[in-house]
Amino acid sequence: MPDTAKQKQLKICLAASAGGHISQLLKLASCWNGYETFCVTTTEVVRNRLNKLGEVYVVGECNRQHPIRVIAVFIRCLRIVFKERPCVVISTGAAAGCMLCFLSKMIGAKVVWIDSITNVERISLSGRMVRYIADLFLVQWPELADRYKKVEFVGTVV
Amino acid sequence: MIFLTVGTQFPFDRLVKAVDKAAGTNGFDEHIVAQVGESSYCPKNFEVSPSVEKAVFDRYFSDAESVISHAGMGTITMALEQRKPLLVMPRLKKYGEVVNDHQLAIAKKFEQLGYLLVAYNTEDVQVKMKQLKSFVPQQRKPCPDIVAARIATFLNELSQS
Repeated sequence: MPDTAKQKQLKICLAASAGGHISQLLKLASCWNGYETFCVTTTEVVRNRLNKLGEVYVVGECNRQHPIRVIAVFIRCLRIVFKERPCVVISTGAAAGCMLCFLSKMIGAKVVWIDSITNVERISLSGRMVRYIADLFLVQWPELADRYKKVEFVGTVV
Repeated sequence: MIFLTVGTQFPFDRLVKAVDKAAGTNGFDEHIVAQVGESSYCPKNFEVSPSVEKAVFDRYFSDAESVISHAGMGTITMALEQRKPLLVMPRLKKYGEVVNDHQLAIAKKFEQLGYLLVAYNTEDVQVKMKQLKSFVPQQRKPCPDIVAARIATFLNELSQS
């Protein structure tokens, strides 16, 4: 059985964009039971779904087509990481989750990535970058685990 | 009732227009409820709301005989969990509707597995809507508990070290 006192010391950042990413992350809720958590997502609409999981930060939507927004989101993520200092990041993507993984890794955090089920033919762009720094990298199609090193398939979340 | 939804983030007028066109053909007698995002297009054959509260959305979803949507995983998951016949039209990169064609990939894969019907373009929508009436989706059995257990083991090892 996990030691509750030790569990408390392990602060976990739960990071996922609004939509399918957050739905997939929330299916895994039993794994962070007993740990201190906080959440980072991309739109206000989903804030209510995260209320029970500690502090909720909304960093805004961004993608490759909007470089200025990417910078704004990056700065918000940077602030969050320095304020919260997570020990672990668990993310299902996408861009903001990827940034939080890299930023948290820089301050010594462990990175858990679950690539979204929508990535059928290859791992997501964010996932392909995070793979190099991830401590646990899970995919939801067995074919992908065969194709990439350091990638595990144990089952599907949705 | 058919529930048409395009997800919470962006409008998807290409789909709304195609469903509107199909709903305007002779002999079409089904009621459509639509959630279409911040769209400027005004359908002639059904009423729309830009976004609806989660509770209202859930009610429309569970009341619907079938669902039509973009190929977003949120909607697909919900339809599979409730075993609703689902028709999706993927958002495509070439129209600037998404940054990559992941919706197309998941639609193809899930169509092969018998989980949903796919309209690959607007011309497909009408004929697929007819098929949707009698479509029975395959049951999907995900295993989030196994995935969660794998992560829990990882976290446990970390907290013990």
